[in-house]
Amino acid sequence: VVKEKSSGEPLPGVSVVVKGTQRGTETDFDGNFSITNVKTGDVLVFRYLGYANKEITIGTNFNFTVELAEAAQQLDEIVVVGYGTTTVKDATGSVEAITAKDFTKGNIVTPENLLSGRVSGVNITTSGAPGSGSQITIRGGSSIGASNSPLIIIDGLPIENSDASVSGSRGLLANINPNDIESFSVLKDASATAIYGSRAANGVIIINTKKGRTEYSLDFDMQYTFGEVLDRVQVFSADDFRNIINQIRPGDAALLGNSNTNWQNEILRNTVSSLYNLTARGQIFGAIPTRLSLGFANQEGSVLTSEFDRKTISLSMNPSLFKDHLKINLNYNRNFEDSRFGDAGQIGSALRYDPTQPVYDPTSPFGGFYQHIVSGEPANGTTNPVAALLQRNNTGFAFRQYGNLNLDYKFHFLPELKAVINVGFDKIKSENTDITSTKAPAQSNALFRGNNAFKTQERGNQLFDSYLNYIKTFDKTKLDVTAGYSYQRFENFGTDSGNKNNPNNVATTFADPDVVNIGFFGRANLTFSEKYLLTLNYRRDGTSRFGENNRWGNFGGAALAWKISEEDFLKDNKVISNLKLRASYGVTGQQNIPGSNDIYLDRYRFGNQGSQYIFGNQVIQSTIPSAINPNLKWEDTKTIEFGVDYGLFNNKFSGSLNYFNKVSSDLFFNEASLADGINFSNAIIQNIGELTINGIEFTINGDILKTDDYNWNFTFNATYLDREITKTLNNQEFRTGGTGGGTGNTIQLYRVGFAPNSFHVFKQLYDSAGKPIEGAYVDLNGDGLINDNDRYLKENPNADIALGFQSSFNYKNLDFAFNLRANIGNHVYNNVNSARAQYELLRDNAVLGNIPTSVLNTNFVRTADVINSDIYVENASFLRMDNVTLGYTFNNPIKKFSYSSLRIWAGVQNVFTWTNYTGLDPEVFNGIDNLIYPRSRNFLFGANIKF
Amino acid sequence: CTKDLNIVPEDDQTTLSEKLFENETAYLEVLAGIYANLSLTGTDGAGSSNIQGLDPGTSQYGRVLLYLQTLSADQMIWSYENDPGTREIQRNIWTAQNPLILGMFSRASVSVAFANNFLRETTTEKLDARNVSAATRADIVNYRAEARLLRALSYYHLMDLFGKAPLVNENDPVVNFNPPQADRQQLFTYIESELTAIEVDLKDPMTNQHGRADKAVAWMILAKMYLNAEVYIGQAKYTEAADYCIKIINGGYTLATNYADLFMADNNTNSAVNEIIFPLISDGIETQNFGPTTVMVNGSVGSIEQNGTPLGVGAGGWGGALRLRREFVQLFDASVFNTDARNTIISGSRDIEIRDISDQDQGYILEKYSNAKSTGGFGSDQTFVDTDFPLFRLADVYLMYAEAHFRGASGTNTDLAFNYINLLRTRANNPQNNLSMSDFSNNNEILNFILDERARELHWEAKRRQDLIRFGKFTGGNYNWAWKGNGSNGISISADLKVYPIPNASLASNPELKQNPGY
Repeated sequence: VVKEKSSGEPLPGVSVVVKGTQRGTETDFDGNFSITNVKTGDVLVFRYLGYANKEITIGTNFNFTVELAEAAQQLDEIVVVGYGTTTVKDATGSVEAITAKDFTKGNIVTPENLLSGRVSGVNITTSGAPGSGSQITIRGGSSIGASNSPLIIIDGLPIENSDASVSGSRGLLANINPNDIESFSVLKDASATAIYGSRAANGVIIINTKKGRTEYSLDFDMQYTFGEVLDRVQVFSADDFRNIINQIRPGDAALLGNSNTNWQNEILRNTVSSLYNLTARGQIFGAIPTRLSLGFANQEGSVLTSEFDRKTISLSMNPSLFKDHLKINLNYNRNFEDSRFGDAGQIGSALRYDPTQPVYDPTSPFGGFYQHIVSGEPANGTTNPVAALLQRNNTGFAFRQYGNLNLDYKFHFLPELKAVINVGFDKIKSENTDITSTKAPAQSNALFRGNNAFKTQERGNQLFDSYLNYIKTFDKTKLDVTAGYSYQRFENFGTDSGNKNNPNNVATTFADPDVVNIGFFGRANLTFSEKYLLTLNYRRDGTSRFGENNRWGNFGGAALAWKISEEDFLKDNKVISNLKLRASYGVTGQQNIPGSNDIYLDRYRFGNQGSQYIFGNQVIQSTIPSAINPNLKWEDTKTIEFGVDYGLFNNKFSGSLNYFNKVSSDLFFNEASLADGINFSNAIIQNIGELTINGIEFTINGDILKTDDYNWNFTFNATYLDREITKTLNNQEFRTGGTGGGTGNTIQLYRVGFAPNSFHVFKQLYDSAGKPIEGAYVDLNGDGLINDNDRYLKENPNADIALGFQSSFNYKNLDFAFNLRANIGNHVYNNVNSARAQYELLRDNAVLGNIPTSVLNTNFVRTADVINSDIYVENASFLRMDNVTLGYTFNNPIKKFSYSSLRIWAGVQNVFTWTNYTGLDPEVFNGIDNLIYPRSRNFLFGANIKF
Repeated sequence: CTKDLNIVPEDDQTTLSEKLFENETAYLEVLAGIYANLSLTGTDGAGSSNIQGLDPGTSQYGRVLLYLQTLSADQMIWSYENDPGTREIQRNIWTAQNPLILGMFSRASVSVAFANNFLRETTTEKLDARNVSAATRADIVNYRAEARLLRALSYYHLMDLFGKAPLVNENDPVVNFNPPQADRQQLFTYIESELTAIEVDLKDPMTNQHGRADKAVAWMILAKMYLNAEVYIGQAKYTEAADYCIKIINGGYTLATNYADLFMADNNTNSAVNEIIFPLISDGIETQNFGPTTVMVNGSVGSIEQNGTPLGVGAGGWGGALRLRREFVQLFDASVFNTDARNTIISGSRDIEIRDISDQDQGYILEKYSNAKSTGGFGSDQTFVDTDFPLFRLADVYLMYAEAHFRGASGTNTDLAFNYINLLRTRANNPQNNLSMSDFSNNNEILNFILDERARELHWEAKRRQDLIRFGKFTGGNYNWAWKGNGSNGISISADLKVYPIPNASLASNPELKQNPGY
């Protein structure tokens, strides 16, 4: 029997192999195994995902119990890779596995945050909004015009790109319960990802969910979170505001009110959130190991009214038939997500709204809320932010079902060969109801008040995968070959009622063309003498996004690894316990260009209501040809990587060091210009560039203390990344990075020779006292004029170096853990200051408006003169403690059960942030800080009971 | 099953071309698409755009035309200089990167592409293949001439503003082709020959549906080209200019009863229909756009006056987006202009000087355009106005005739020239409406008077830059206006600024194009 050391639970699915042979088996659901033809002196090797390998030399007792301990270092862990598994030891590529014990802790509602800061090269930026999705990049992202999100696969089912939106839902990862996740595998280099070919240029995250067991158990988890947003953007207090108006705009003093309102305090609140999970495992009908879990999550947002509520049901059934020749894995999930979206844009209104005015006004015709009134009508510009939040009810409901059925059949006549069929589906249906009270002031000069809109959307995909896998050992050579076929179709359509209060309103529908991806793939793993490893990958992919001539792409990769530590000269080395050298090369593809599913077809588009033309009295449905690009083709990314995996002092310290170079060619740019006059636009997405990424990743895991009572370990990772645009057709440049303040302003540029999204700014001039001179810039091209040609590129939003550090400490039943994260060299354009901190904005149309107190540092008056100054590009390097937790475990508190435990814990999330950045939060995904949803500091209390 | 990779559009607003023309009404709808490009920026509302690289509203045909012809000169100031491109246009410090210049070049070029597409889809072979009915074929003769007219109109704007353009016709491919550059002379010849060739297939003046072009539109473009021929090709063609003016006038147009009618929400039905030769359609429900009339009505509302309600938009409008430069206001200085209907300037307690462009309280404002109806009541929406933009109208023709005459056209008549000037003054209730040769000491004085009178009659109608260039007053230093050349009192600017630069993006996509000198 094989059991887990700490809990004593049996471990199913543990691989048991007789050392030096390929003979072996797996434990069943009660942890039992039997193996024939073994004799005293044989060594059995036990391996299980997340646990340390154990070798047992068979003595005279052929019935024994083996206890496996959770592994602190991951050398022998099984890693799920595309269409199969390997171990860290045998991996030829850059693959990292993160299991439950390594998950990041805290108020974690969405699954990707379990990985936050844990894996080198992986960057996860999550907004402070409840249940909100995250921007995930692996190694910085290899695209410009296409998605930079990694491919995410749940139990073999690739889900829609995580940046695909669903109205009424917080995002495609938001309605997955993190509690159902057993482990992640992060595939980073091309040799590992190439098996996913077209889908994998930005890396792959494979999520494996928890599975059923034969032994009955019940698990209950609960967690309460109390959150508070501590920081505020510094704007003038009511009294300071009165002073400054009297001083700068004395003529407007009559517009001042008598109240003292801190609008940020009025719209931000302390939050209470709760999480409950109940998991039951056991065997039903005496044959089907099953896991059923229920999850309830409720999260309040710190912006008034915003809320996220999620119920999940997850069922997993994992029977084996025909003496384990047929393994069936069935996963089915039903998730219900209720949200109320509190408009985060009101944070901006709260900064702006006149602090001398009250929140409420009993005489107001606007539902009792104060509003500015000018000549009997609501004033142009900012409206009362509290009213805007309370008078708007923007809710979403999303129902998602996803799951898959995986059949894994080991042929009776040829057990080395197995066939796997995986069918899956994912469907999300959502509704979004957005109602603004008719008591709110009319929006943008509309003839009527209020809003009443209803949207629906349905997104889904269907998957069919099948492959054959053949494993055979010939003498000293092990061969592991996989070949298969994959088909996936994506759909997306919906309706939008428009504002039903508007008598001229017409409802609309939309439907994206389906996206179909078809792939044929193969992989061969060859192992010689257990020291020399070779992996070859190939995939041929077709996509419906390109025309017939460009539709198919061929991708592949090769990797070599040499386990030097297995060589005789290192075998008994006291220092080096493990050393593996890796080298790989691979090509992956990219076709994920949202919104361009049928761009190669000859199409026309009708004008909708509002976009018609009128001849005489006749309204004509004006129709124009759509811009077309039949030349669109695969973007491909070639990656070269060299890596070392090491273990020192009997693997007390272990880790890896990787260098990689990625070159994306035929790079998509969304608005690449077209020769004028021929096509039906001036620009369209085209393959016209090249992006080069160089990076170094380093990780070290250490067991500093390991005794029966004490346990102290840490992991540290560091990533250096350098991304540069190395080519565009005719050196075209592209403006990007829209900013607030003005219509259509941009602050970033794609230019050859620079990092993507570099800030495109004027060079500020300063007086002799070091004060910036308003609107005075360096005439960089020396033509005597200061115009657009004098802008230059300064810094970029990406960190040069990202660091993560985690440590945990156990003393008997007491556990303590924390993690730290740092970014060095990331820059942020402070759009809050650039578009708001100017004296002229003390007037907001016909009334008064507040501005940030940072105006006192610059004394700037006019936004237009200064908005593109480099003074607003700030170094936003930071060190952040994401969380710290302290827990205590009671063993067997309930004697009635043979085994039970209770763990109670408390923690703090978002403990502190050290930074020189002057805005609220230095962590801004695209480097443009235009008021992000604030991240609160959370205090957490939780308990976990197991029976 | 790899044939699943062949997908089709599923949205009910999109159709494959082979399907579209199964229905014969498609021809009129695709023709409407070319016209609509003069008002709309995209198919999905005022915020959508089928051209890229700039804010959708700032690629609206009439609006960028207004910015490049009027905002760049002495009549208008835009308060929000943080709207990209506006600062550089109104201070004459633009670069080849300017989004408004990109918007104009791209929008006009797309017009050419749409027209060529229509011509490709209506060849005899295609109509035969689709078994198009005789009735539709008869209409298509007019449609094709109108498509060519709209193409010529865009080339006329490109020639005037940029001095060159990529020359493309319906026989050229849609992709993988770099069209050759045509210079001003080549464009002049091309437009002239096109307009002459299609005349026979265009409907007679005032006989086509409102909003569609007829012969008079072609004549108007020709008249304007000939009036400016010295600038464009170094040859005087004033006689031809005057001839075409007369052809238009004889087409049956008459002045609108009231000057204000021309700029009101119902200018598609009131007396303005007799005067407007070619409108760019705008409608608060059907044809919503951030075009010149929407911008000018909302933008006219004063920051102090809050006078939006009588103009048919929100009381505060756009908070004082547009104001007047001093030199324009001074054209109305004499007492004879106190009652002139064309004088819609509001001075209030305002300072005539604009020292700080971002201070909406400085400088006078103008109430020329309105979303109110001449019969009372207002347009259908409070942001998107119903007011059409009068691209060409009879008053302009009258003044062009007079100018051509005094510039030496033959076969013209001094009395008739003064008659036309006086007709406009009479309509405007100007007491000084009986001008004659004796009121002027020389020809030059009359010409300068005509330039001023054009400003009084045609201000904010996208004419001014062209007029100033024709009079040698746009570049150089012999006429400086507030903020010209980025000086608050105006300074001399380079003669290179008579044409705009070819946008960088256009140069990058088509190596055949060469940048204009000085940029």
